[in-house]
Amino acid sequence: MLEFKNITVSKNGITLLEDISLKIETGKLTVLIGPNACGKTTLLQTLNGSSKVTGGEIILNGEDYLSLPPKERAKRLSFLPQVHSVIPSIPVKTLVSHGRFPYLGFSRRSGEEDKKIVNDAMIKTGVDEYSSAGVDTLSGGVRQRAFIAMQLAQQSDTIIADEPATYLDQPSRKKITEIYSGLRNEGKTVVLVLHELSTALEIADRIIVMKDRKIAAEGTPKQIISSGIITDVFGVGIKRFSDDEGDYLITV
Amino acid sequence: MKTYKKKGDKKIMLVTGLIIFLVIAFLASLSFGSVKVSVRDVLGAFFSPDISPVSTTIIRDVRLPRVIAGLLAGAGLSAAGVILQGVMNNALASSNTIGVGSGAGFFVMLALAFFPGKVWLQPVFAFGGALFATLTIFALAYFADTSRITIILAGITVSSFLSAGINLIKTLDTDIALNINSFLIGSLSGVSVRDITVPGILIVIAALVTLFLAGPLNILGLGDDVAASLGMRVSLVRFILMIVSSILAGCVVSYAGVLGFVGLIVPHICRRLFGNDAKLLIPCSILLGASFVMICDLLARVLFSPYEIPTGIIMSFIGGPFFMYLLVIKKGGRRLNA
Repeated sequence: MLEFKNITVSKNGITLLEDISLKIETGKLTVLIGPNACGKTTLLQTLNGSSKVTGGEIILNGEDYLSLPPKERAKRLSFLPQVHSVIPSIPVKTLVSHGRFPYLGFSRRSGEEDKKIVNDAMIKTGVDEYSSAGVDTLSGGVRQRAFIAMQLAQQSDTIIADEPATYLDQPSRKKITEIYSGLRNEGKTVVLVLHELSTALEIADRIIVMKDRKIAAEGTPKQIISSGIITDVFGVGIKRFSDDEGDYLITV
Repeated sequence: MKTYKKKGDKKIMLVTGLIIFLVIAFLASLSFGSVKVSVRDVLGAFFSPDISPVSTTIIRDVRLPRVIAGLLAGAGLSAAGVILQGVMNNALASSNTIGVGSGAGFFVMLALAFFPGKVWLQPVFAFGGALFATLTIFALAYFADTSRITIILAGITVSSFLSAGINLIKTLDTDIALNINSFLIGSLSGVSVRDITVPGILIVIAALVTLFLAGPLNILGLGDDVAASLGMRVSLVRFILMIVSSILAGCVVSYAGVLGFVGLIVPHICRRLFGNDAKLLIPCSILLGASFVMICDLLARVLFSPYEIPTGIIMSFIGGPFFMYLLVIKKGGRRLNA
Protein backbone atom coordinates (compact mmCIF):
# COMPACT_ATOMS: atom_id res chain seq x y z
CA MET A 1 0.00 0.00 0.00
CA LEU A 2 1.28 3.44 -0.95
CA GLU A 3 -0.37 6.10 1.13
CA PHE A 4 -0.13 9.86 0.81
CA LYS A 5 -1.22 11.35 4.13
CA ASN A 6 -2.18 15.02 4.22
CA ILE A 7 0.54 15.96 1.75
CA THR A 8 1.32 19.64 1.33
CA VAL A 9 3.88 20.91 -1.16
CA SER A 10 5.00 24.54 -1.14
CA LYS A 11 7.68 26.29 -3.14
CA ASN A 12 8.84 29.87 -2.71
CA GLY A 13 5.82 30.60 -0.53
CA ILE A 14 3.36 29.25 -3.08
CA THR A 15 1.28 26.25 -2.09
CA LEU A 16 1.27 23.77 -4.95
CA LEU A 17 -0.61 21.00 -3.18
CA GLU A 18 -2.52 21.17 0.09
CA ASP A 19 -3.64 18.38 2.35
CA ILE A 20 -3.76 15.63 -0.29
CA SER A 21 -4.61 12.19 1.03
CA LEU A 22 -4.63 9.13 -1.16
CA LYS A 23 -4.30 5.37 -0.91
CA ILE A 24 -2.84 3.27 -3.74
CA GLU A 25 -3.68 -0.39 -3.38
CA THR A 26 -0.98 -3.03 -3.63
CA GLY A 27 -0.96 -5.20 -6.74
CA LYS A 28 -3.34 -2.95 -8.66
CA LEU A 29 -2.88 -0.74 -11.70
CA THR A 30 -3.96 2.74 -10.70
CA VAL A 31 -4.23 5.50 -13.28
CA LEU A 32 -4.09 9.15 -12.31
CA ILE A 33 -5.98 11.41 -14.68
CA GLY A 34 -6.70 15.10 -14.73
CA PRO A 35 -6.27 18.19 -16.89
CA ASN A 36 -2.87 19.81 -17.35
CA ALA A 37 -1.51 21.66 -14.29
CA CYS A 38 -3.92 19.92 -11.91
CA GLY A 39 -1.05 18.73 -9.69
CA LYS A 40 -0.49 15.15 -10.88
CA THR A 41 3.21 15.58 -11.61
CA THR A 42 3.80 17.63 -8.45
CA LEU A 43 2.21 14.87 -6.40
CA LEU A 44 4.30 12.13 -8.00
CA GLN A 45 7.47 14.20 -7.80
CA THR A 46 7.21 14.03 -4.01
CA LEU A 47 8.32 10.43 -4.49
CA ASN A 48 11.75 11.31 -5.92
CA GLY A 49 12.25 14.52 -3.98
CA SER A 50 11.85 16.83 -6.96
CA SER A 51 8.85 18.30 -5.14
CA LYS A 52 9.62 18.91 -1.48
CA VAL A 53 6.97 17.76 0.93
CA THR A 54 6.34 20.57 3.41
CA GLY A 55 3.60 18.79 5.32
CA GLY A 56 2.25 15.29 5.72
CA GLU A 57 3.86 11.93 5.15
CA ILE A 58 4.11 9.11 2.63
CA ILE A 59 3.79 5.56 3.88
CA LEU A 60 4.93 2.70 1.65
CA ASN A 61 4.06 -0.77 2.87
CA GLY A 62 4.13 0.43 6.47
CA GLU A 63 7.44 2.34 6.19
CA ASP A 64 7.89 6.09 6.44
CA TYR A 65 9.00 6.46 2.82
CA LEU A 66 10.38 9.99 3.06
CA SER A 67 12.68 9.12 5.96
CA LEU A 68 14.38 6.37 3.93
CA PRO A 69 17.76 7.11 2.27
CA PRO A 70 17.32 7.88 -1.47
CA LYS A 71 18.80 4.57 -2.64
CA GLU A 72 16.53 2.58 -0.33
CA ARG A 73 13.56 4.50 -1.73
CA ALA A 74 14.71 3.69 -5.27
CA LYS A 75 14.86 -0.02 -4.42
CA ARG A 76 11.29 -0.01 -3.15
CA LEU A 77 9.70 2.38 -5.65
CA SER A 78 10.76 3.26 -9.18
CA PHE A 79 9.47 6.47 -10.67
CA LEU A 80 9.90 7.27 -14.34
CA PRO A 81 9.45 11.02 -14.71
CA GLN A 82 7.55 12.79 -17.47
CA VAL A 83 9.11 13.50 -20.90
CA HIS A 84 12.83 13.34 -20.39
CA SER A 85 14.55 16.70 -20.65
CA VAL A 86 17.77 14.94 -21.58
CA ILE A 87 18.05 12.35 -24.35
CA PRO A 88 21.36 10.68 -23.63
CA SER A 89 23.65 9.62 -26.47
CA ILE A 90 24.67 6.41 -24.75
CA PRO A 91 23.94 2.81 -25.74
CA VAL A 92 20.60 1.40 -24.64
CA LYS A 93 22.33 -1.24 -22.53
CA THR A 94 24.23 1.45 -20.62
CA LEU A 95 21.02 3.37 -19.99
CA VAL A 96 19.25 0.28 -18.72
CA SER A 97 22.21 -0.61 -16.51
CA HIS A 98 21.77 2.75 -14.75
CA GLY A 99 18.65 1.19 -13.25
CA ARG A 100 20.99 -0.84 -11.04
CA PHE A 101 22.44 2.34 -9.48
CA PRO A 102 20.61 1.91 -6.14
CA TYR A 103 22.10 -1.55 -5.72
CA LEU A 104 25.72 -0.83 -6.60
CA GLY A 105 28.18 -0.67 -3.76
CA PHE A 106 31.14 1.61 -3.17
CA SER A 107 33.05 0.23 -6.16
CA ARG A 108 29.98 0.74 -8.38
CA ARG A 109 30.82 -2.41 -10.30
CA SER A 110 27.99 -4.42 -11.81
CA GLY A 111 27.96 -8.11 -10.95
CA GLU A 112 26.71 -11.02 -13.01
CA GLU A 113 23.31 -10.79 -11.36
CA ASP A 114 23.04 -7.09 -12.25
CA LYS A 115 23.90 -7.90 -15.86
CA LYS A 116 21.27 -10.62 -15.98
CA ILE A 117 18.64 -8.27 -14.56
CA VAL A 118 19.56 -5.63 -17.17
CA ASN A 119 19.28 -8.18 -19.99
CA ASP A 120 15.95 -9.47 -18.68
CA ALA A 121 14.60 -5.92 -18.49
CA MET A 122 15.63 -5.27 -22.09
CA ILE A 123 13.99 -8.49 -23.27
CA LYS A 124 10.81 -7.74 -21.35
CA THR A 125 10.45 -4.32 -22.95
CA GLY A 126 11.59 -5.53 -26.38
CA VAL A 127 14.67 -3.31 -26.62
CA ASP A 128 17.26 -6.10 -26.48
CA GLU A 129 17.78 -5.89 -30.24
CA TYR A 130 18.78 -2.24 -29.81
CA SER A 131 21.14 -2.85 -26.89
CA SER A 132 24.20 -1.31 -28.58
CA ALA A 133 22.28 1.47 -30.37
CA GLY A 134 22.49 5.03 -29.07
CA VAL A 135 19.40 6.10 -27.14
CA ASP A 136 19.35 9.35 -29.13
CA THR A 137 19.11 7.43 -32.40
CA LEU A 138 15.92 5.55 -31.48
CA SER A 139 12.32 6.34 -32.36
CA GLY A 140 10.22 7.88 -29.57
CA GLY A 141 8.45 4.62 -28.78
CA VAL A 142 11.57 2.46 -28.56
CA ARG A 143 13.37 5.17 -26.58
CA GLN A 144 10.56 5.26 -24.06
CA ARG A 145 10.71 1.49 -23.75
CA ALA A 146 14.45 1.76 -23.11
CA PHE A 147 13.70 4.12 -20.21
CA ILE A 148 11.04 1.70 -18.96
CA ALA A 149 13.65 -1.09 -19.13
CA MET A 150 15.89 1.07 -16.93
CA GLN A 151 12.97 1.44 -14.54
CA LEU A 152 12.40 -2.33 -14.51
CA ALA A 153 16.09 -2.90 -13.77
CA GLN A 154 15.44 -1.13 -10.46
CA GLN A 155 13.40 -4.21 -9.51
CA SER A 156 11.04 -2.32 -7.26
CA ASP A 157 7.65 -3.65 -6.20
CA THR A 158 6.01 -0.28 -6.77
CA ILE A 159 6.31 1.12 -10.27
CA ILE A 160 5.23 4.63 -11.16
CA ALA A 161 5.40 6.44 -14.50
CA ASP A 162 4.36 9.97 -15.31
CA GLU A 163 2.85 10.15 -18.80
CA PRO A 164 4.89 7.26 -20.22
CA ALA A 165 2.89 7.20 -23.46
CA THR A 166 2.56 10.91 -24.24
CA TYR A 167 3.63 12.07 -27.72
CA LEU A 168 3.80 8.48 -28.99
CA ASP A 169 1.88 6.90 -31.84
CA GLN A 170 -0.91 4.41 -31.21
CA PRO A 171 1.15 1.18 -31.61
CA SER A 172 3.85 2.51 -29.28
CA ARG A 173 1.26 3.60 -26.70
CA LYS A 174 -0.31 0.17 -26.87
CA LYS A 175 3.02 -1.59 -26.33
CA ILE A 176 3.81 0.59 -23.34
CA THR A 177 0.44 0.13 -21.65
CA GLU A 178 0.79 -3.62 -22.26
CA ILE A 179 4.15 -3.64 -20.49
CA TYR A 180 2.69 -1.91 -17.42
CA SER A 181 -0.43 -4.10 -17.45
CA GLY A 182 1.87 -7.12 -17.56
CA LEU A 183 3.74 -5.86 -14.52
CA ARG A 184 0.46 -5.52 -12.64
CA ASN A 185 -0.35 -9.12 -13.61
CA GLU A 186 2.96 -10.14 -12.02
CA GLY A 187 1.77 -8.62 -8.75
CA LYS A 188 3.51 -5.26 -8.94
CA THR A 189 1.80 -2.10 -7.79
CA VAL A 190 1.63 0.18 -10.82
CA VAL A 191 0.65 3.84 -10.95
CA LEU A 192 0.48 5.66 -14.27
CA VAL A 193 -0.42 9.16 -15.30
CA LEU A 194 -2.22 8.97 -18.63
CA HIS A 195 -3.90 11.61 -20.74
CA GLU A 196 -5.79 9.29 -23.04
CA LEU A 197 -9.01 8.74 -21.09
CA SER A 198 -10.26 5.70 -22.99
CA THR A 199 -6.96 3.85 -22.45
CA ALA A 200 -6.90 4.87 -18.79
CA LEU A 201 -10.41 3.57 -18.21
CA GLU A 202 -9.74 0.34 -20.09
CA ILE A 203 -6.52 -0.74 -18.40
CA ALA A 204 -6.94 0.59 -14.85
CA ASP A 205 -8.09 -1.28 -11.80
CA ARG A 206 -8.52 2.04 -10.00
CA ILE A 207 -8.82 5.58 -11.32
CA ILE A 208 -7.91 8.72 -9.43
CA VAL A 209 -9.18 12.00 -10.86
CA MET A 210 -7.43 15.25 -9.98
CA LYS A 211 -8.74 18.72 -10.58
CA ASP A 212 -7.48 22.11 -9.40
CA ARG A 213 -4.74 20.47 -7.31
CA LYS A 214 -7.22 18.36 -5.37
CA ILE A 215 -8.42 14.76 -5.58
CA ALA A 216 -11.77 15.08 -7.34
CA ALA A 217 -12.75 11.40 -7.36
CA GLU A 218 -11.44 7.88 -7.04
CA GLY A 219 -12.87 4.49 -7.78
CA THR A 220 -13.04 1.71 -10.31
CA PRO A 221 -13.34 2.74 -13.96
CA LYS A 222 -17.02 1.72 -13.87
CA GLN A 223 -17.68 3.90 -10.83
CA ILE A 224 -15.82 6.82 -12.40
CA ILE A 225 -17.73 6.56 -15.68
CA SER A 226 -21.10 6.31 -13.99
CA SER A 227 -20.37 9.18 -11.59
CA GLY A 228 -20.21 11.73 -14.41
CA ILE A 229 -16.97 13.19 -13.04
CA ILE A 230 -15.27 12.79 -16.43
CA THR A 231 -17.68 15.28 -17.97
CA ASP A 232 -17.29 17.66 -15.00
CA VAL A 233 -13.50 17.62 -15.15
CA PHE A 234 -12.72 17.19 -18.84
CA GLY A 235 -15.90 18.40 -20.54
CA VAL A 236 -16.21 15.19 -22.55
CA GLY A 237 -18.33 12.09 -22.28
CA ILE A 238 -17.41 8.40 -22.43
CA LYS A 239 -19.34 5.98 -24.64
CA ARG A 240 -19.03 2.24 -24.96
CA PHE A 241 -18.62 0.97 -28.51
CA SER A 242 -18.86 -2.68 -29.46
CA ASP A 243 -17.95 -4.68 -32.52
CA ASP A 244 -17.18 -8.32 -33.29
CA GLU A 245 -13.78 -8.09 -31.62
CA GLY A 246 -14.92 -6.62 -28.32
CA ASP A 247 -15.95 -3.54 -26.37
CA TYR A 248 -14.17 -0.21 -26.56
CA LEU A 249 -14.46 3.05 -24.68
CA ILE A 250 -14.36 6.24 -26.71
CA THR A 251 -14.48 9.87 -25.66
CA VAL A 252 -17.21 11.97 -27.25
CA MET B 1 27.13 -8.53 -31.97
CA LYS B 2 30.00 -8.37 -34.39
CA THR B 3 29.55 -4.62 -34.82
CA TYR B 4 29.53 -4.17 -31.06
CA LYS B 5 32.80 -6.05 -30.75
CA LYS B 6 34.31 -3.96 -33.51
CA LYS B 7 33.30 -0.79 -31.72
CA GLY B 8 34.95 -2.09 -28.56
CA ASP B 9 38.11 -2.96 -30.49
CA LYS B 10 38.15 0.52 -32.03
CA LYS B 11 37.96 2.11 -28.60
CA ILE B 12 40.81 -0.05 -27.29
CA MET B 13 42.88 1.03 -30.30
CA LEU B 14 42.06 4.68 -29.72
CA VAL B 15 42.94 4.50 -26.03
CA THR B 16 46.21 2.75 -26.88
CA GLY B 17 46.84 5.49 -29.43
CA LEU B 18 46.27 8.15 -26.77
CA ILE B 19 48.73 6.48 -24.42
CA ILE B 20 51.37 6.26 -27.17
CA PHE B 21 50.68 9.91 -28.09
CA LEU B 22 51.19 10.90 -24.44
CA VAL B 23 54.53 9.08 -24.28
CA ILE B 24 55.67 10.68 -27.56
CA ALA B 25 54.55 14.15 -26.39
CA PHE B 26 56.37 13.61 -23.10
CA LEU B 27 59.63 12.51 -24.70
CA ALA B 28 59.44 15.20 -27.42
CA SER B 29 58.85 17.88 -24.80
CA LEU B 30 61.95 16.74 -22.95
CA SER B 31 63.98 16.41 -26.13
CA PHE B 32 63.21 19.66 -27.96
CA GLY B 33 63.96 23.18 -26.79
CA SER B 34 66.60 25.85 -27.17
CA VAL B 35 69.12 23.00 -26.82
CA LYS B 36 68.16 19.79 -28.58
CA VAL B 37 68.74 16.64 -26.55
CA SER B 38 68.49 13.27 -28.29
CA VAL B 39 65.88 10.78 -27.12
CA ARG B 40 68.73 8.47 -26.10
CA ASP B 41 70.14 11.19 -23.82
CA VAL B 42 66.63 11.91 -22.51
CA LEU B 43 66.31 8.28 -21.49
CA GLY B 44 69.90 8.33 -20.27
CA ALA B 45 69.07 11.24 -17.96
CA PHE B 46 66.80 8.89 -16.02
CA PHE B 47 68.55 5.58 -16.33
CA SER B 48 72.29 6.47 -16.75
CA PRO B 49 72.68 10.07 -15.56
CA ASP B 50 76.52 9.94 -15.57
CA ILE B 51 76.85 9.42 -19.33
CA SER B 52 75.89 12.98 -20.27
CA PRO B 53 75.83 15.22 -17.16
CA VAL B 54 74.91 18.39 -19.11
CA SER B 55 71.93 16.75 -20.79
CA THR B 56 70.95 15.21 -17.48
CA THR B 57 70.91 18.64 -15.84
CA ILE B 58 68.86 20.17 -18.67
CA ILE B 59 66.39 17.32 -18.65
CA ARG B 60 65.98 16.70 -14.95
CA ASP B 61 66.33 20.18 -13.49
CA VAL B 62 64.96 22.43 -16.24
CA ARG B 63 62.62 20.58 -18.58
CA LEU B 64 61.19 17.79 -16.47
CA PRO B 65 59.43 20.05 -13.92
CA ARG B 66 57.96 22.10 -16.75
CA VAL B 67 56.85 19.09 -18.76
CA ILE B 68 55.26 17.51 -15.70
CA ALA B 69 53.62 20.87 -14.96
CA GLY B 70 52.14 20.84 -18.46
CA LEU B 71 51.06 17.23 -18.17
CA LEU B 72 49.31 17.90 -14.87
CA ALA B 73 47.77 21.14 -16.14
CA GLY B 74 46.29 19.43 -19.20
CA ALA B 75 45.09 16.45 -17.20
CA GLY B 76 43.58 18.62 -14.46
CA LEU B 77 41.83 21.13 -16.70
CA SER B 78 40.47 18.43 -19.00
CA ALA B 79 39.10 16.42 -16.09
CA ALA B 80 37.57 19.63 -14.68
CA GLY B 81 36.07 20.33 -18.11
CA VAL B 82 34.44 16.90 -18.33
CA ILE B 83 33.00 17.35 -14.85
CA LEU B 84 31.65 20.84 -15.47
CA GLN B 85 30.19 19.99 -18.87
CA GLY B 86 28.52 16.96 -17.31
CA VAL B 87 27.30 18.70 -14.17
CA MET B 88 25.84 21.57 -16.16
CA ASN B 89 25.00 19.49 -19.22
CA ASN B 90 26.33 22.41 -21.18
CA ALA B 91 28.87 22.09 -23.96
CA LEU B 92 30.29 25.53 -23.19
CA ALA B 93 31.12 24.81 -19.58
CA SER B 94 34.76 24.77 -18.55
CA SER B 95 36.77 26.24 -15.71
CA ASN B 96 37.35 29.38 -17.73
CA THR B 97 33.90 29.89 -19.17
CA ILE B 98 32.09 29.62 -15.83
CA GLY B 99 34.45 31.88 -13.92
CA VAL B 100 36.57 29.45 -11.91
CA GLY B 101 39.67 30.60 -13.84
CA SER B 102 38.72 34.25 -13.36
CA GLY B 103 38.19 33.60 -9.65
CA ALA B 104 41.65 32.11 -9.29
CA GLY B 105 43.16 34.90 -11.41
CA PHE B 106 41.45 37.66 -9.43
CA PHE B 107 42.59 36.25 -6.11
CA VAL B 108 46.18 35.92 -7.36
CA MET B 109 46.05 39.58 -8.37
CA LEU B 110 44.78 40.45 -4.91
CA ALA B 111 47.77 38.57 -3.48
CA LEU B 112 50.10 40.51 -5.76
CA ALA B 113 48.47 43.82 -4.84
CA PHE B 114 48.24 43.38 -1.08
CA PHE B 115 51.12 40.99 -0.36
CA PRO B 116 53.78 41.90 -2.92
CA GLY B 117 56.85 39.69 -2.84
CA LYS B 118 55.13 36.80 -1.07
CA VAL B 119 55.21 34.43 -4.02
CA TRP B 120 54.22 31.41 -1.94
CA LEU B 121 50.85 32.99 -1.32
CA GLN B 122 49.89 32.84 -4.99
CA PRO B 123 48.93 29.15 -5.15
CA VAL B 124 46.96 29.49 -1.92
CA PHE B 125 45.09 32.47 -3.29
CA ALA B 126 44.57 30.78 -6.67
CA PHE B 127 42.94 27.80 -5.05
CA GLY B 128 40.97 30.08 -2.72
CA GLY B 129 39.74 32.06 -5.73
CA ALA B 130 38.70 28.96 -7.65
CA LEU B 131 36.86 27.67 -4.60
CA PHE B 132 35.28 31.07 -3.98
CA ALA B 133 33.99 31.24 -7.56
CA THR B 134 32.67 27.67 -7.39
CA LEU B 135 30.93 28.16 -4.06
CA THR B 136 29.45 31.48 -5.18
CA ILE B 137 28.07 29.84 -8.32
CA PHE B 138 26.71 26.97 -6.32
CA ALA B 139 25.20 29.25 -3.64
CA LEU B 140 23.52 31.37 -6.32
CA ALA B 141 22.14 28.27 -7.95
CA TYR B 142 21.13 26.73 -4.62
CA PHE B 143 19.04 29.70 -3.58
CA ALA B 144 17.45 29.90 -7.01
CA ASP B 145 17.52 26.27 -8.11
CA THR B 146 20.26 23.82 -9.00
CA SER B 147 19.19 23.39 -12.60
CA ARG B 148 21.88 23.42 -15.23
CA ILE B 149 20.70 26.65 -16.79
CA THR B 150 20.75 28.50 -13.48
CA ILE B 151 24.27 27.28 -12.76
CA ILE B 152 25.62 28.33 -16.14
CA LEU B 153 23.97 31.74 -15.81
CA ALA B 154 25.40 32.09 -12.32
CA GLY B 155 28.81 31.11 -13.74
CA ILE B 156 28.67 33.71 -16.47
CA THR B 157 27.64 36.36 -13.92
CA VAL B 158 30.43 35.44 -11.51
CA SER B 159 32.95 35.29 -14.36
CA SER B 160 31.97 38.74 -15.56
CA PHE B 161 32.16 40.17 -12.03
CA LEU B 162 35.60 38.68 -11.32
CA SER B 163 36.97 39.72 -14.72
CA ALA B 164 35.91 43.25 -13.85
CA GLY B 165 37.89 42.88 -10.62
CA ILE B 166 40.96 41.74 -12.58
CA ASN B 167 40.69 44.71 -14.93
CA LEU B 168 40.21 47.10 -12.01
CA ILE B 169 43.42 45.95 -10.33
CA LYS B 170 45.26 46.11 -13.68
CA THR B 171 44.03 49.67 -14.14
CA LEU B 172 44.91 50.84 -10.64
CA ASP B 173 48.25 49.05 -10.25
CA THR B 174 50.39 49.42 -13.34
CA ASP B 175 53.24 47.34 -11.83
CA ILE B 176 50.95 44.35 -11.59
CA ALA B 177 49.55 45.06 -15.04
CA LEU B 178 53.08 44.76 -16.48
CA ASN B 179 53.82 41.44 -14.78
CA ILE B 180 50.47 39.72 -14.90
CA ASN B 181 50.00 39.25 -18.63
CA SER B 182 51.66 35.84 -18.82
CA PHE B 183 49.61 34.70 -15.86
CA LEU B 184 46.35 35.83 -17.42
CA ILE B 185 47.19 34.18 -20.74
CA GLY B 186 48.60 31.09 -19.09
CA SER B 187 52.26 30.11 -19.14
CA LEU B 188 54.50 27.36 -17.84
CA SER B 189 57.65 29.44 -18.12
CA GLY B 190 59.92 29.18 -15.09
CA VAL B 191 57.83 26.58 -13.28
CA SER B 192 59.89 24.79 -10.65
CA VAL B 193 59.51 21.56 -8.70
CA ARG B 194 58.55 23.60 -5.65
CA ASP B 195 55.74 25.29 -7.60
CA ILE B 196 54.13 22.03 -8.63
CA THR B 197 54.71 19.73 -5.67
CA VAL B 198 51.60 20.50 -3.62
CA PRO B 199 49.29 21.39 -6.56
CA GLY B 200 50.56 18.32 -8.42
CA ILE B 201 49.73 15.96 -5.57
CA LEU B 202 46.30 17.54 -5.24
CA ILE B 203 45.69 17.28 -9.00
CA VAL B 204 46.59 13.58 -8.98
CA ILE B 205 44.30 12.91 -6.00
CA ALA B 206 41.45 14.97 -7.49
CA ALA B 207 41.86 13.24 -10.86
CA LEU B 208 41.60 9.85 -9.15
CA VAL B 209 38.48 11.03 -7.31
CA THR B 210 37.10 12.19 -10.67
CA LEU B 211 37.58 8.70 -12.10
CA PHE B 212 35.65 7.32 -9.17
CA LEU B 213 32.86 9.84 -9.74
CA ALA B 214 32.38 8.83 -13.38
CA GLY B 215 29.37 6.63 -12.52
CA PRO B 216 27.42 9.36 -10.71
CA LEU B 217 28.37 11.80 -13.49
CA ASN B 218 26.77 9.43 -16.00
CA ILE B 219 23.60 9.22 -13.91
CA LEU B 220 23.51 13.01 -13.58
CA GLY B 221 23.65 13.16 -17.37
CA LEU B 222 20.18 11.61 -17.54
CA GLY B 223 18.64 14.74 -16.03
CA ASP B 224 17.96 15.69 -12.43
CA ASP B 225 14.51 14.11 -12.29
CA VAL B 226 15.70 10.71 -13.52
CA ALA B 227 18.85 10.84 -11.37
CA ALA B 228 16.76 11.57 -8.27
CA SER B 229 14.42 8.70 -9.15
CA LEU B 230 17.40 6.34 -9.29
CA GLY B 231 18.24 7.25 -5.72
CA MET B 232 20.94 9.85 -6.29
CA ARG B 233 21.35 12.84 -3.98
CA VAL B 234 21.50 15.19 -6.93
CA SER B 235 22.46 18.44 -5.18
CA LEU B 236 25.09 16.74 -3.03
CA VAL B 237 26.70 14.93 -5.97
CA ARG B 238 26.66 18.11 -8.04
CA PHE B 239 28.27 20.01 -5.15
CA ILE B 240 31.02 17.38 -4.69
CA LEU B 241 31.76 17.35 -8.41
CA MET B 242 32.02 21.12 -8.50
CA ILE B 243 34.36 21.16 -5.51
CA VAL B 244 36.58 18.55 -7.19
CA SER B 245 36.61 20.58 -10.40
CA SER B 246 37.56 23.73 -8.49
CA ILE B 247 40.44 21.89 -6.80
CA LEU B 248 41.67 20.75 -10.21
CA ALA B 249 41.32 24.17 -11.83
CA GLY B 250 42.62 26.11 -8.82
CA CYS B 251 45.73 23.95 -8.54
CA VAL B 252 46.52 24.40 -12.23
CA VAL B 253 45.94 28.16 -12.17
CA SER B 254 48.22 28.44 -9.13
CA TYR B 255 51.31 27.69 -11.21
CA ALA B 256 50.22 27.92 -14.87
CA GLY B 257 47.90 30.91 -14.83
CA VAL B 258 44.60 31.04 -16.64
CA LEU B 259 45.14 28.51 -19.44
CA GLY B 260 42.27 28.63 -21.87
CA PHE B 261 40.56 26.17 -24.17
CA VAL B 262 42.04 22.88 -22.98
CA GLY B 263 39.17 22.27 -20.57
CA LEU B 264 36.72 23.16 -23.30
CA ILE B 265 37.98 21.39 -26.39
CA VAL B 266 39.64 18.24 -25.09
CA PRO B 267 36.41 16.79 -23.65
CA HIS B 268 34.72 17.57 -26.99
CA ILE B 269 37.37 15.74 -29.00
CA CYS B 270 37.13 12.76 -26.65
CA ARG B 271 33.32 12.70 -26.87
CA ARG B 272 33.66 12.46 -30.63
CA LEU B 273 36.18 9.65 -30.36
CA PHE B 274 34.90 7.67 -27.39
CA GLY B 275 31.27 8.63 -26.77
CA ASN B 276 29.72 10.03 -23.64
CA ASP B 277 30.35 7.35 -21.06
CA ALA B 278 32.24 9.24 -18.36
CA LYS B 279 34.01 6.05 -17.33
CA LEU B 280 35.90 6.22 -20.62
CA LEU B 281 35.60 9.93 -21.28
CA ILE B 282 37.40 11.03 -18.11
CA PRO B 283 40.56 8.92 -18.46
CA CYS B 284 40.77 9.66 -22.19
CA SER B 285 40.35 13.40 -21.62
CA ILE B 286 43.05 13.26 -18.97
CA LEU B 287 45.43 11.50 -21.40
CA LEU B 288 44.66 13.78 -24.36
CA GLY B 289 44.59 16.97 -22.26
CA ALA B 290 47.99 16.15 -20.80
CA SER B 291 49.44 15.54 -24.28
CA PHE B 292 47.78 18.65 -25.70
CA VAL B 293 49.25 21.03 -23.13
CA MET B 294 52.69 19.42 -23.35
CA ILE B 295 52.67 19.83 -27.16
CA CYS B 296 51.40 23.43 -26.94
CA ASP B 297 54.07 24.27 -24.40
CA LEU B 298 56.71 22.65 -26.60
CA LEU B 299 55.57 24.81 -29.53
CA ALA B 300 55.57 27.88 -27.26
CA ARG B 301 59.21 27.16 -26.47
CA VAL B 302 60.53 26.30 -29.92
CA LEU B 303 58.47 28.24 -32.48
CA PHE B 304 60.24 31.57 -31.88
CA SER B 305 63.32 30.20 -30.14
CA PRO B 306 65.25 31.63 -28.38
CA TYR B 307 62.21 33.76 -27.52
CA GLU B 308 59.36 32.09 -25.74
CA ILE B 309 55.69 32.90 -25.89
CA PRO B 310 53.05 32.05 -23.27
CA THR B 311 51.60 28.56 -23.70
CA GLY B 312 48.07 29.98 -23.53
CA ILE B 313 48.60 31.81 -26.83
CA ILE B 314 49.46 28.58 -28.67
CA MET B 315 46.56 26.79 -27.05
CA SER B 316 44.15 29.48 -28.16
CA PHE B 317 45.62 29.52 -31.68
CA ILE B 318 45.04 25.77 -31.95
CA GLY B 319 41.89 25.64 -29.84
CA GLY B 320 40.13 28.58 -31.51
CA PRO B 321 40.08 27.21 -35.07
CA PHE B 322 39.25 23.75 -33.79
CA PHE B 323 36.27 25.08 -31.89
CA MET B 324 35.12 26.98 -34.98
CA TYR B 325 35.42 23.70 -36.88
CA LEU B 326 33.22 21.99 -34.30
CA LEU B 327 30.65 24.76 -34.34
CA VAL B 328 30.40 25.34 -38.08
CA ILE B 329 31.51 22.20 -39.89
CA LYS B 330 30.31 19.58 -37.46
CA LYS B 331 27.33 21.55 -36.07
CA GLY B 332 28.53 21.21 -32.50
CA GLY B 333 29.64 17.61 -32.76
CA ARG B 334 28.32 14.78 -30.64
CA ARG B 335 25.53 15.40 -28.20
CA LEU B 336 26.80 16.24 -24.79
CA ASN B 337 24.64 14.19 -22.52
CA ALA B 338 26.28 11.34 -20.74
